[in-house]
Amino acid sequence: MALETSAESPAAVRTVSRLLSDWIGRLGGIWVDGQVAEFRRRPGARNLYLTLRDPDVDMSITVVAGVAVIGAVEPPLAEGQRIIVFGKPEFWTGRGTLSLRAKEIRAVGLGELLAQLARLRELLTAEGLFAADRKKPLPFLPRRVGLICGRNSAAMHDVLVNARERWPSVQFVVREVAVQGVQAVSGVSEALAELDALTDIDVIVIARGGGSVEDLLPFSNETLVRAVAACATPVVSAIGHEQDAPLIDFVADLRASTPTDAAKRIVPSLAEQAALVSSLRTRAHRVVVGQLDRESQRVTDLRRRSRTVVLNAISSRESEIGHLSARVRTLSPAATLERGYAIVTNAAGVIVRTPDDADSALDVRVSGGRFTATRTSS
Amino acid sequence: MTKAKDPGTGYEAARDELVGIVAKLEAGGISLEESVALWERGEELAKVCTDLLDSARQAVAEAESPAATD
Repeated sequence: MALETSAESPAAVRTVSRLLSDWIGRLGGIWVDGQVAEFRRRPGARNLYLTLRDPDVDMSITVVAGVAVIGAVEPPLAEGQRIIVFGKPEFWTGRGTLSLRAKEIRAVGLGELLAQLARLRELLTAEGLFAADRKKPLPFLPRRVGLICGRNSAAMHDVLVNARERWPSVQFVVREVAVQGVQAVSGVSEALAELDALTDIDVIVIARGGGSVEDLLPFSNETLVRAVAACATPVVSAIGHEQDAPLIDFVADLRASTPTDAAKRIVPSLAEQAALVSSLRTRAHRVVVGQLDRESQRVTDLRRRSRTVVLNAISSRESEIGHLSARVRTLSPAATLERGYAIVTNAAGVIVRTPDDADSALDVRVSGGRFTATRTSS
Repeated sequence: MTKAKDPGTGYEAARDELVGIVAKLEAGGISLEESVALWERGEELAKVCTDLLDSARQAVAEAESPAATD
């Protein structure tokens, strides 16, 4: 039912207000689930106001309820409490404000919350969000580490101190946020998105110390859990808890039992790595030097063997020649001549063996030389 | 006289040739001239091998020296 207006014929405030009141009134009675963000109890007032906030996002509406309605809530209303409200949206024309007029308010008990949580866990498991093959491996040595933790918390201190002890030059980008209460889900989610967007942050740690089941509820919140699942950077959850693990533990890429434990798993140990490098260098040195020694030995050996062969060849030939020379000498006439014999040849050059061979001009060869001789008689 | 092998041919090639020469010498049945020639070639190869091994030791010593670990 549109309202026709123009600059020449504007509507009166009361007209607008009444129309709004009309339209809004048509929504009728509804059940709404939310968290008590603010609650002012003014003594003597007939109507009490509270701010009902969506647990997941930063949106809220004012709820107005009579004293009796408020009084009927068990346990008594307090800030941070989850409640369901049955009421009608109302537009109050006097001031132009919107509120939900509550007819009934019920506290959502812990048991109910835990039951919701169990159903959510089943749902997300069925979707495969907790599957092992979804888990991203952590980098061996991250360039920078994102840390989401409570303001000035022991968790922050534990992570920073223990990580730096292990790898002194580790760089952190810290986002201190609310880690319980109504601001926790949006605070952590925004910090997560911001850190995930920074390209040189290679791992993100979400850490807080132990707390009650109610305190840890934000870490089982569906919006937050889905945000962690969608995060491109590996996420480590380090939420101290005694009993049931918050759902973030299942969707995180690594679950650490405490912030200190997380610190030890996001960086390597400098001392260990230095010792490893040192031992590898020693082993490499040993291998190379060993190889060089073996090869030197081998070359020396080969030289010795070839030298031996050649020297043997030479000396065996030397002794062979020695033997042959000795034999030649015994076979030659030189030995006989030395014993005093002479070789006589005649003019024809024939060796004289009988007196008839000897003519007048003779050539005599003795050991020391030769001379001529003349035959004188028969 | 054959030229010495250039360093680019590699240690294993020189050493394997030296092994071959020694095998031939030890098998025997070759002339004296050939024995001496083979032995001379072997000595050349042994020098190449030894030089390469010395260079390798030097390289290791330099890489491991305090100056190199900065």
